[in-house]
Amino acid sequence: MPPILEVDGLVKKFGDFEAVKGVSFQVEEGEVFGLLGPNGAGKTTTISMLTGIIPPTSGTARIGGYDIVKESHKVKKLNGLVPQDLALYQTLSARANVNFFGRIYGMRGRELKERADDVLSIVGLTERANGTVEKFSGGMKRRVNIAAGLVHQPRLLFLDEPTVGVDPQSRNNIFESVMRLNRERGMSIIYTSHYMEEVELLCSRVAIIDQGVIIAMDTVKNLIAILGGGVIQVGLRQVDDKILADLAALPAVKSASLMPLPVASAPANVEEGPAPLPALETAVRVVKIECENSQQALVNLINYLNDANLTIASLETLEPNLESVFLHLTGKKLRE
Amino acid sequence: MRIWSITTKDLLVFFKDSGAVFYLFVLPLVFVFLFTGLLARQFTGSEEAEEETEKITLVVVNLDPDGQGAKDLIAKLNDAGVVKTVLYSQEKAERALNRLETGWYLTIPANFSSDVAAQKPVTLDMTVHPDANPEDFQATQNIIASASRDLSLETQILAGLRQMGEMQANSPQFREAFSPERLIRQAKEQFERSRTQPLILVKQTAASSSKGSQDMGASDWVNASVAGFTVMFVFLSAQGTARSIYDEKRDGSFRRLLAAPIRKPELLAGKLLPNFLLALLQVLVIFGAGMLLLPILGWGELTIPDPLSWAVVSMVIALCSTSLGILIASLAHTDAQISGYSTVILWIAGMLGGSFIPTFMMPEFLQSIARFVPHYWANQAFYDILARGKEIGDVIPGIAAMLVFTVIFFGIGLWRFDFD
Repeated sequence: MPPILEVDGLVKKFGDFEAVKGVSFQVEEGEVFGLLGPNGAGKTTTISMLTGIIPPTSGTARIGGYDIVKESHKVKKLNGLVPQDLALYQTLSARANVNFFGRIYGMRGRELKERADDVLSIVGLTERANGTVEKFSGGMKRRVNIAAGLVHQPRLLFLDEPTVGVDPQSRNNIFESVMRLNRERGMSIIYTSHYMEEVELLCSRVAIIDQGVIIAMDTVKNLIAILGGGVIQVGLRQVDDKILADLAALPAVKSASLMPLPVASAPANVEEGPAPLPALETAVRVVKIECENSQQALVNLINYLNDANLTIASLETLEPNLESVFLHLTGKKLRE
Repeated sequence: MRIWSITTKDLLVFFKDSGAVFYLFVLPLVFVFLFTGLLARQFTGSEEAEEETEKITLVVVNLDPDGQGAKDLIAKLNDAGVVKTVLYSQEKAERALNRLETGWYLTIPANFSSDVAAQKPVTLDMTVHPDANPEDFQATQNIIASASRDLSLETQILAGLRQMGEMQANSPQFREAFSPERLIRQAKEQFERSRTQPLILVKQTAASSSKGSQDMGASDWVNASVAGFTVMFVFLSAQGTARSIYDEKRDGSFRRLLAAPIRKPELLAGKLLPNFLLALLQVLVIFGAGMLLLPILGWGELTIPDPLSWAVVSMVIALCSTSLGILIASLAHTDAQISGYSTVILWIAGMLGGSFIPTFMMPEFLQSIARFVPHYWANQAFYDILARGKEIGDVIPGIAAMLVFTVIFFGIGLWRFDFD
């Protein structure tokens, strides 16, 4: 079966600013594909291009075999968008909102009523269908937001940060809805989030995007495997090449390297490679230790540092998950 | 159908917003009734005032100030109880007409009294402004014609009787010839001649300038007030269009619509059509309430002499307002900017365009500036139809001006509109 979505070198520039720098990926029919990245990484811009809201500066993409630029009208019929904003009419009822978006997709009469009933049921709002949206909780509004994007039975559903600001109960309901849509109806879903646990739970494959570039793309399992047995980050006031070599040679440790200095304190003339050691011994440098087994490596590390009389300024163990993978790949946290 | 779906949704959203309904439908009625009521009290405050106000001012240029005939004519004009004469010099009368302080003036020629006494035909000159209030002018004309006919008849009958008296005095042998029957027959002949060959004629001269009438009665104020505030608030509905588009962009639903299989022109049409329909509904509600309630309150009558012209003008005003909506939506990018532009463009233009005070009551330089706002042309067109009894052909310049504004507003609005 051909992929439902094929993206090839998609670029979007706003003036001099390049928000998306040539991303390429494919989404298979019936797949839940995650786009993971911090705020401002380019996720929403990518979705805006794929849903026909804004044209790409360059590159191509095909959805269901149709070109997103040349055949945008056909592409839009296949797509469903649940935007990050609560794109609803607050003074209208949940049903009125769903009906409106159904009509926009050309649905009428009995078909529209049946579809509205169906999607309100999927998101668990059948009982509150006639309630005014402005009186709903944040989570219920999110669910109406999803229902409005589902009413026309899209083949490819874009869920852009669908759980922002929702209570745990609604979040679980949204997860269940997404899984049902994919499992029972075979709907292809592109799920963007900066909550790694959501992506881990829902998506079979994930693209990690940062500063408009896809920096890693694989199954969740393979991405986590990058970290192997985990990562330990230890802050030391005194580090030299010998210490780094000693740390790398410890049992259960794969490698040891210096983390880049924070931008504000990095020397201006250094462009590549590990930063030179600071002149003052009191400055803290963080050593990243990739482990085969993080718990065993931690014991060995502490013993070594005690024997060498080195003071630990900070210590952090990264469990093997997507958050750690992102930190490992970019040197920064997803929610920064 | 997608256009209609957006339109019905927007109308539903509008009518769920009690504040918006109050602003566009209740507030204009408050203004109409408040202003009309205040002005109606001025016109109908007391019986005396009412009588005085209802008299139409007739400026008279008497070039025969010492003549008895001229004095008799002026007395007859005043005695009719409909007009009140005011004596002006020729220059002052012309100046008043040019400055729109009067809609017409009557000139009594220098040889009026002597010619009437000699039973020589004499002509009164009525100089009238083209835009004079037609009802008041007609009433004035009738009074002048009636007074002239009375004076003419009186003069001719008296002259005939005087002639017969002189003949009888000079020829006693004809005494029996002047029997009562003969006198009655003579009077009838004089009456008939005064009707078919009137001694005093009234010639009408049109003034060259073309400006509005200034002699406003209570009914004129009603027309001006209802028309003015209708125009004002129909244009204010443009603010609603801009705000609706802004709200959709802020909430993300505009983006969602852009992702749907709907073309941008369809989307815009769907957003603009509600404004057009609401504007038409505003006109119907304000005029309907005015026609129904103003007479009940005793504040005057509101009638639409030519419904076709009124309907056409209403639609053009609604269209112009709609185009103004997209212009504001394209220029304003924040809620505060929408409020700011609306205040500047809509309220000030409304005041300048004669929605609060008819433009012909404004200083001349303001009247010149007013022509650059659509409200002026809308008010003129409505007032022409309602108060001056004009028809569709007469208000084409106003309609054309509004359509020009519409094209300009649409052009700039579409050019500057940011779909993203």
